[in-house]
Amino acid sequence: MRGVSVVGVGMIPFGKYPAKSLADLGWPAVKAALGDAGIAPRKVQAAFCGTALGGMMAGQRILGRIGLTGIPIVNVENACSSGSTALRQGIMAIRSGEYDVVLVVGVEKLTKFGGGTLPLEEEDWEVSQGLVMPALYAMRAQRYMHDFGLTARQLAQIPVKNRANGALNPDAQMRTPVTVDQVLAARPVADPFTLLQCCPTGDGAAAIVLCATSRAAEIRADLVHVRASELTSGRYVGGYRDMTTPEITVRGAAEAYEQAGLGPQDIRVAEVHDAFSIAELLYYEAFGFCRRGEAGAFLESGATAIDGTIAVNPSGGLLAKGHPLGATGAAQVVEIVRQLRGEAGPRQVAGAKVGLSHATGGGISGFDHGACSIHIFAT
Amino acid sequence: MDSVIGLLLDTGVDDDRALLLPGDALRLAAPGGPVLVGGRCEGCGERMFPRHPVCPACMSEAVVAAEMPRHGTLYAFSTVHVAPEKWAKPFVVGYVDLANGVRVFSRLAGTVTIDGPVTLGVAEVGRDADGRPIRSFVFAAEG
Repeated sequence: MRGVSVVGVGMIPFGKYPAKSLADLGWPAVKAALGDAGIAPRKVQAAFCGTALGGMMAGQRILGRIGLTGIPIVNVENACSSGSTALRQGIMAIRSGEYDVVLVVGVEKLTKFGGGTLPLEEEDWEVSQGLVMPALYAMRAQRYMHDFGLTARQLAQIPVKNRANGALNPDAQMRTPVTVDQVLAARPVADPFTLLQCCPTGDGAAAIVLCATSRAAEIRADLVHVRASELTSGRYVGGYRDMTTPEITVRGAAEAYEQAGLGPQDIRVAEVHDAFSIAELLYYEAFGFCRRGEAGAFLESGATAIDGTIAVNPSGGLLAKGHPLGATGAAQVVEIVRQLRGEAGPRQVAGAKVGLSHATGGGISGFDHGACSIHIFAT
Repeated sequence: MDSVIGLLLDTGVDDDRALLLPGDALRLAAPGGPVLVGGRCEGCGERMFPRHPVCPACMSEAVVAAEMPRHGTLYAFSTVHVAPEKWAKPFVVGYVDLANGVRVFSRLAGTVTIDGPVTLGVAEVGRDADGRPIRSFVFAAEG
């Protein structure tokens, strides 16, 4: 199987851009990624565009703006994993030998829906009864707190950490630090979550240029290599399931580690899917960064801070950087690549050589999550 | 327990026009009170709620109607403050584990606790765009 390397990344600062079209959110990220790679647009042989709610032909709408057309463009929808699923499709297209240079873009415009919770599929019967995404994660939190004694103050430290990281990231939507007391005093969304424990709604785009490793040295010297590209779906269960164990991520992590020939002890920096505060804690355990039931203590030890042993969400994560669904998976990779190249400025994780990105989502009946995509990168 | 359920049931118990359920999934006038009607696969015995036309375990289409137990154990819950316009807020939702192995997402009422017993009832849960009441099944804390 051919190796794949990242030769260019770019994104626009996540935020609220109600006056911009999806196309005008997307093309600046693509142009930035091509500029970072230092290649002419005509070098791109195929493009994969991830968006959850952006509508038909998102990739054509974006790439039409900058004349990057007449090539295969594949539009990918996989809920919150749309961008990372597009990335995996791009990686496989190079691995297959079909292309040498592929563009991946993730994009979303959530301000078009106004505010409030994410619009879910009304055909889903749990949604028809009143399920909203914060409530789904809140039930996980309640059960985890019940089973493992996690406190509300421990839970509130996740947004405190990630907002502090986001304050160091010019691409983050939320750039002011918060305290535990501010988190706990914010308005309630779904108990135990207050507003500050929920990712903001916003708009964004991020892009990645991939190249076959055998050709990548022609483009740049400081290459970041893809060591694992993993995608799986949740397992449908109509009966009991343990909501404190994200089975899709546990399974996906094992498969990604096996593919990379690496383990949790090798990961120095990780961008994980912290859509709500509890999620990041569940993922510490799912990825094997700490033992089951010990995520609260692991967080409090400082291990997941930028200067800790395994920096988690140095970009600010979904909680601070923002979560424009289809853009998220691509933006996580922008951060990991910048970290591995040593370009992350004040939030640089010292000595980062191996990093991981993880985007999972899709709240539908009977699944822990609908989709999960994990990537591992190394210099 | 009966008094809690009594509070949940409004007068029009046989009026299912505004019920938020697929097909005949909630039988209001059943002997002994309302009951959820899910499915049982005649191929492999899998039970489900709501009832689907095909079995998710064995792909058999021989799925017959099956009444679900009225009592269950609450696995997890949350009080929801932010949700679409039509829902009366705040409201409580949770996952109820029934004795036949089926897990049901449901509205909840009363002072519920994790691992606590709950019983099926019916209540108004919101208003539609024309202001008409929307009702659905609600599991209430026992005792």
